[in-house]
Amino acid sequence: MKIITVLKFTVCLTIASFSLASDADISNGQVLPELACRYEMHIVPQDKSQTEIHKTWYFWRTANSVQTQDADGGHGEIWQRSTTGNIQYRKLYHNDKTAVEYMPADNASNNISFDWIKLSSMLSQQELDSLKYVKKSEIMGKRSELRTGKIDGQSLEVQWLVDEKLPASIIRKDGVRTVELRLLDIAPLLTTQYKPVSVADIGNYRQIDATDFGDMENDPFVKKLMAVEGQHTH
Amino acid sequence: MLFVKNLSVVAVTTLLIVSIAQADEPSPEDWFKAGRKTVVDAMHLHPNVRHAKNVILFVGDGMGVSTITASRIFDGQQKGGHGEENSLSFEKFPYLALSKTYSVNQQTPDSAPTMTAMVTGVKSNDGFLSVNHTILRSEPSAGVIDANKLATILEQAKQNGMSAGVVSTARITHATPAACYAHTANRDWEADSDRPAGATVPDIAAQLVDYNISGGIEVALGGGRARFLPNTVTDPEYGSAGKRKDGRDLTAEWVSKHSKANYVWNKAQFDAIDPNKTDHLLGLFEPSHVHYEADRVAHDKAGEPSLTEMTTKAIDILKKNSNGYFLMVEGGRIDHAHHAGNAFRALSDTQQLAAAVEAAVKKINLEDTLVIVTADHSHVFTIGGYPVRGNPILGLAQGVGEASPTLDLLGLPYTTLNYANGPGYTGASNQQVAGSKTFTTPVTPGWASGSEGHTPTSYSAAIGRPTLSKETVEHHDYLQESIVPMGAETHAAEDVAIFANGPQAHLFHGIVEQNVIYHVMAEALGFTKHHDHHDHHNRK
Repeated sequence: MKIITVLKFTVCLTIASFSLASDADISNGQVLPELACRYEMHIVPQDKSQTEIHKTWYFWRTANSVQTQDADGGHGEIWQRSTTGNIQYRKLYHNDKTAVEYMPADNASNNISFDWIKLSSMLSQQELDSLKYVKKSEIMGKRSELRTGKIDGQSLEVQWLVDEKLPASIIRKDGVRTVELRLLDIAPLLTTQYKPVSVADIGNYRQIDATDFGDMENDPFVKKLMAVEGQHTH
Repeated sequence: MLFVKNLSVVAVTTLLIVSIAQADEPSPEDWFKAGRKTVVDAMHLHPNVRHAKNVILFVGDGMGVSTITASRIFDGQQKGGHGEENSLSFEKFPYLALSKTYSVNQQTPDSAPTMTAMVTGVKSNDGFLSVNHTILRSEPSAGVIDANKLATILEQAKQNGMSAGVVSTARITHATPAACYAHTANRDWEADSDRPAGATVPDIAAQLVDYNISGGIEVALGGGRARFLPNTVTDPEYGSAGKRKDGRDLTAEWVSKHSKANYVWNKAQFDAIDPNKTDHLLGLFEPSHVHYEADRVAHDKAGEPSLTEMTTKAIDILKKNSNGYFLMVEGGRIDHAHHAGNAFRALSDTQQLAAAVEAAVKKINLEDTLVIVTADHSHVFTIGGYPVRGNPILGLAQGVGEASPTLDLLGLPYTTLNYANGPGYTGASNQQVAGSKTFTTPVTPGWASGSEGHTPTSYSAAIGRPTLSKETVEHHDYLQESIVPMGAETHAAEDVAIFANGPQAHLFHGIVEQNVIYHVMAEALGFTKHHDHHDHHNRK
């Protein structure tokens, strides 16, 4: 079940994102505040025969890293920005003390590039600008702006925390489902009770290049990861 | 029975390519003459019975016979021909055998015991690198490993005063190159951080740099930089941390321990290396495996040399030794592309291996250099249907005289190339929707996972088959359909080919165990006298 869980987790994160990438600097060159957040994701399919999904997960941001973790602590992801501007991406399997790395050479082959602004703020400046400002408000004691609009045919409603450069909520609707992301807790990283696994500890995890899965057919971890655990449903 | 292939290939190829260039199919008489010429030429073929001064062993990782056939057609069609008549460079070699690839404990093997068989003459267990099968998997004791290690052809070459090199598009610590110089019962212990606590057997990267016989290995070119750098040092190209916990910077050690030594990590540095002034060259061009050939130039901002360029540079350095050299060259990413279910990249990397062989043969003298081209194992990769001659090898099967693609019993077109298993299964996966799958998972940049192609971990059962178009299947990122849904396509157990040219190449004949490759190399290099004398003495 753990693997299915992490897949749903990944799916949730993907769904939470928006499809446009941007090189715009949402922080106008400012260093974004280091934060710890807890979000709830709720997916409601239009087809009532399909199951609703609820997920709670953590989000930690520093100047050069973004880390996530599902609520039970078993799985997460980490993106680290180097001094050269490259972004190292790893999936984290905390229960197995293992990190699966997606190497730059193969990300390039797959036309995958990471947008740091979007990773660290969940919306690019271009996406934010394409939404219409509606009104100011205050959420959890923080300055917020309600913005609405359509991106790629999906209607969006975003409560944007102006100083934190993060959404307090995103509601996206299309003909298939409604996806709602809502901030539950937010605190400075230094004072939060929800601490991420340290980069040093992750460095002590077993590191596997995802490319090597095909040649690790007898490795217990890879066997577990690659095993089909029942049919996938949407 | 002696397998003589070279002359028939040359004769047929010459006749057919000329005919195609003239947009004129060979006549029945042309076919007859080509066949006859093959036999006449074979009658004049004389085995080279000299000892070899040098040996070059090319290994296409996962390059099964179907991969060679498809690559031959792929290459020929890029040259403007039908493709089937084309020959890859090594297909013109005169001697051919088939290799039985099973390991001691596996019907279908992995690259570790297969390469161990090729370079030590002894079959072993899965995951074992040049140690015998009697010990435990992941044996941690250096003493046990030392007591059970198998001498490799590279080590014997060094002991006999020759030079030695390993070249790969995979990490230079990956199974195939590692079996040449390292001894361990776990192929994944590439850096010290990969080993469990308490293990005393050295990691593979350390074994490469610490190798000390006759001054150490002269040339090591490939990927795998992170395993050579301490975790306190950042990668020069990407800024990520090294993977060594012992604080050793093996790239610096390589330079300091050898005379006339260099370490390079990008193409400009590589190009600047003068072989006449360099005796030891370590080149590590990516933190892990280097790029697929199809992506290398476009996507590597620091630049990295091709397999052909690495091979010829290696030869130029090694050939300075008047005692000769042993060189192993691996096309390592053929295997990865197959595991990803992407035929295009497997074929283009095979094409590059063939180019490396061609360039090497131009640089050497086949009178004194034995050249072998083989694979460690195959893949579940098939060429099927009844496509017309010259049908695009990546395309939809379309039969002779048909105006549109051939249809299956569901009324749907299908491709010539397919996989028996793998990520090309057409049910919905947790990463891609039902239907055709693509190497590039269409994820959202940012807040989406990176991906080595399509590596699903769950599927829904496919309902029927997708409706395929020419544009879909001929796209370079298309994943050919597979029958069995799996996250990674698997190796296959059928025999692989051994192509050989040069001294003692004629000793390859028939269907042989994979470990015979070592014994032919040892015979050609004259390393067998001691063994034979020893055996004779024991028999007395």
